[in-house]
Amino acid sequence: MEIDSCTLKAVSSSPSEKIHLRPMTLSDIDDFMVWATDINVTRFCTWEPCTSREAGIAYINSFVLPHPWLRAICLDDDRAIGSISVTPVDSIRGEIGYVIGSKYWGKGIATEAVRLVAAEIFKEKPEMERLEALVDVDNIGSQKVLEKVGFVREGVMRKFMCLKGNVRDMVMFSFLPSDSLL
Amino acid sequence: MEMDSNETQPKVVVSSPARRISLRQMTLSDVDHYMVWATDAKVAQFCSWEPCTSREEAITYITDSVLTHPWLRAICLEDDRPIGYILIMAVDDIRKEIGYVLARKYWGKGFATEAVRLVTAEIFKEMPEIERLEALVDVDNMGSQRVLEKVGFTREGVMRNLIIMKGSVRDMVMFSFLPSDPLK
Repeated sequence: MEIDSCTLKAVSSSPSEKIHLRPMTLSDIDDFMVWATDINVTRFCTWEPCTSREAGIAYINSFVLPHPWLRAICLDDDRAIGSISVTPVDSIRGEIGYVIGSKYWGKGIATEAVRLVAAEIFKEKPEMERLEALVDVDNIGSQKVLEKVGFVREGVMRKFMCLKGNVRDMVMFSFLPSDSLL
Repeated sequence: MEMDSNETQPKVVVSSPARRISLRQMTLSDVDHYMVWATDAKVAQFCSWEPCTSREEAITYITDSVLTHPWLRAICLEDDRPIGYILIMAVDDIRKEIGYVLARKYWGKGFATEAVRLVTAEIFKEMPEIERLEALVDVDNMGSQRVLEKVGFTREGVMRNLIIMKGSVRDMVMFSFLPSDPLK
């Protein structure tokens, strides 16, 4: 895998899909709308589906562009089919999050994107001691992604956070700089 | 048992059924008892703070951090002498974290367990918005893990490299108690 400062490339485990990561821009708005309006995609996200192109543009401007570390997940044609981000929790912890358009589920794409980030993020952020992920207990697909990459399932945190008005149990996963990628 | 936080006098407000300990507001007049545990490096070992080195420092700390704390209670013996304290911190709108410290002379007698049980029994009535009471304990702090297990907290797992404590990155055990959980 070659890495430059902005683009991470890899061949995903599924033969037909090659993905790379790059910064998102406003010109990704129409591709963004494909996953952001999809209620299946947003089911375990804290946010509601996007309702208009204007709202999508506002979201990209206010949240995506200023984000400290967020990348579009792209196929060969450089079109964004989802995004992945690492958000600081504090000075030593970062939380990974990712979203993929439902048409692309089940192909190993999220797994490859998470693997790419877990492989590189500690070099980019040497102060990070822990990369963690919080996944809804019912979101089995996302739990499998993290397990396939090599994240450690630390336990179920009961009544941990409010998701769309409901208090949810969340599974906590972590990956350390010393851990091995699977 | 009522929990009353608006009195100027530190009256005894909560007693354990065995009448061994009670909880009340701390005051500046507790400073000498405070010094007993606050200067002890063994007590401070798993705390974020360094041992206290002077009475002036203790007075400043009590004034700035203890008296201003949104929910902190002295753990007192029958003669109203504080032997430690227990506190509740807000993590967010639905989660609170419990913490406690006890002078070393009183370790191993079940006092911390009683104090945690007392608070856990009452806190959800006092704060009905809480969905989850949690505690984070250093992996090496076996005594404190035992306290929570004896009260009936659920040990959810070890969170690796979770916090920096006195310059070292530590693994912490996460415990929780929900309003629906049974006290042991």
